Amino acid sequence: MAANNTLSISFTVNGEKFNNVNVPSRQHLADFLRSQGFTGTHLGCEQGACGACTIEMDGKAVRSCLVLASQANGSDLKTVEGFDDKMMEQVKQSFLKHNAFQCGFCSPGMLMTTKEILLSKKKLTRDEIRSEISGNYCRCTGYQSIVDAIEECINEVN
Amino acid sequence: MIRLICYLMGGKYMKAANFSYYEAKNIQDAIKIKANDEEAVILAGGQSLLPALNMRLSSPSCLIDISKISGLNDIIIDGDYLFIGALATHSDVMRNEIVSQKMPCLIDILKMVAHPAIRNKGTHGGSIAYGDPAAELPALAVATNAEIILSGQNGDRSINANDFYLGLFETAINQDEIVVGIKYPLLKQGQVFLFDEVCRRHGDYAMAGLIANIILSSNKVNDLKLVFFATGDKPDVADKTAKLFLQTGYDYDQLKNSLSSEIDFAGDLNSSSEMKLHLATILIKKIINKLEA
Ligand SMILES: Cc1cc2nc3c(=O)[nH]c(=O)nc-3n(C[C@H](O)[C@H](O)[C@H](O)COP(=O)(O)OP(=O)(O)OC[C@H]3O[C@@H](n4cnc5c(N)ncnc54)[C@H](O)[C@@H]3O)c2cc1C
Ligand code: FES
Ligand code: FES
Repeated sequence: MAANNTLSISFTVNGEKFNNVNVPSRQHLADFLRSQGFTGTHLGCEQGACGACTIEMDGKAVRSCLVLASQANGSDLKTVEGFDDKMMEQVKQSFLKHNAFQCGFCSPGMLMTTKEILLSKKKLTRDEIRSEISGNYCRCTGYQSIVDAIEECINEVN
Repeated sequence: MIRLICYLMGGKYMKAANFSYYEAKNIQDAIKIKANDEEAVILAGGQSLLPALNMRLSSPSCLIDISKISGLNDIIIDGDYLFIGALATHSDVMRNEIVSQKMPCLIDILKMVAHPAIRNKGTHGGSIAYGDPAAELPALAVATNAEIILSGQNGDRSINANDFYLGLFETAINQDEIVVGIKYPLLKQGQVFLFDEVCRRHGDYAMAGLIANIILSSNKVNDLKLVFFATGDKPDVADKTAKLFLQTGYDYDQLKNSLSSEIDFAGDLNSSSEMKLHLATILIKKIINKLEA
C-alpha cells in the first residue's frame, strides 16, 4: 500500500510554482502555507468556525485549516498576499477608508469572503451582507465598518 | 457535539496526531484498504473529520482520501428517485438545476449548513455517513425515507435511512463499505417537506431542528412524519406526536408532553434538554405556520 507519512507535492501559490515539496501527511494547509512564508493566512480556531484561514483553492473559497496540505497536490492556491488585482485593490482601499481593518486578524478571511460576494455579482442588502459574512468572526470592529466597506464595494463594482 | 467535547477538554486544541495518507484511485481501491485496516478512515470533504483530527478526538492510522475518485458526484433522476452521488459537495447540490426543480427544500436546508467555504468542500455522502445528530441531512434522509447506497467487497447494497442510524455517530456501514450515494424518493402528489431550525448564528449547528414530511389532501394535513435533529443521539422520529397532532391540532402542552415521552432529549453546550424540548414543540407550530402561509 502506497500510504505515507511524508508526501512530495507540487502546487502553485499566487502564480508561483512549487515543485516536489515534502509535507508531513498530518499537516493542514494553513500551517503548511505559513511554514512557506505565506503568513497572511491566519489561524484562529482550527475547527472551521472563525474563517481567518479562508483561502482560494482552484477558484473556490476553502478553510485552509480543514484541508490537508497533501490534498493540495496539483492545486492552484491564492492567499491574501496574492489579492493584488484591480478589484481587490479597490476592496482594500474601501476597508481602509471605513476602518474595517483594526487588528487585522480576521482581515484575510474577510477579504476572501468579500471577493466571493463581489464575484457572485449579487446586489445584497446590509442584512444579506451580514448573513454572507456570518462565517467570519471579527473580534474588533463590531462588523459595522466591515458591512459599510462591503456595501460600498458592491455599489462600485457592480 | 465537537464543541461540547472541546469545551470539556478545556478548549485546548492541538495539531492532528500522525497518520498516513492514501489517495484512493477508485472505489474498489478504497474498499480494499478500508476492509483490511480497522483504524483507517475515509476522508471525503474533511469538514467534519479535520476538526476532529485537529482536536485529537480521533487518531486514525491512515486516511483514505476518496475526494479525487471520479464519477461519485453525479446528481441524476433514477426512476422514482433523485440520486445524489456521495462526493457531490453541498455547493454542487445547491447550484444543481435538477435539485431546484425536484427537491427545492434541499436547497433551503443546505443554506443552513455551515458557511460557503465549508459547503465548497463538505460532501453529501460525508454528512450522511458521519451521522452527526445535529446535522440536517441525516434527518432529511430519515424524513424522506431515502435509500443509502453502500459499496463493499461483495458489491452494492441499499439500506433505508430509517434503519441506517443506530446511535450517536453510529451507522449501519460495515468495515468494508463506503457510501456511494443517496436516493431520495421523488415528491408525490400533495406531498411537501417543510423545515425549520433554531440556531445562535446562521450556519452553526442547530439547537433544535425539525423536518416534516407532509401529505396534503384538499388543503388539509392528511399524513405527517416529524423528524427532529439536534435533540437526541440520532435523527429522532416522533410518530406518536405526529399522530396526536393529526387528531387534536396544535396544543403546546399536549405536544410537549408527548415529545418528552417519545424523545430522549440530550442537552449540550448551547441548550439544555428542557430548552430543546421547548424548541422542538415550538418548531411544530412554526412548520404549521409555514404551511398555512
Ligand atoms: C464550522 C462548521 C459548521 C458546520 N455546520 C454544519 C451544520 O450546521 N449542519 C451540518 O449538517 N453540517 C455542518 N458542518 C459539517 C459539514 O456539513 C460537513 O461537510 C459534513 O458533515 C461532512 O462531510 P465531509 O465530506 O466534509 O466529510 P468528512 O469530514 O470527510 O468525513 C466525515 C466522516 O464521515 C466518513 N465518511 C465521509 N464520506 C464517507 C463515505 N462516502 N462513505 C463512508 N464514510 C464516509 C469519514 O470517514 C468521517 O468519519 C459544519 C462544519 C464546520 C466545520
Ligand atoms: S482557523 Fe480555520 S476557520 Fe478558524
Ligand atoms: S479586525 Fe481584529 S478581528 Fe477583525
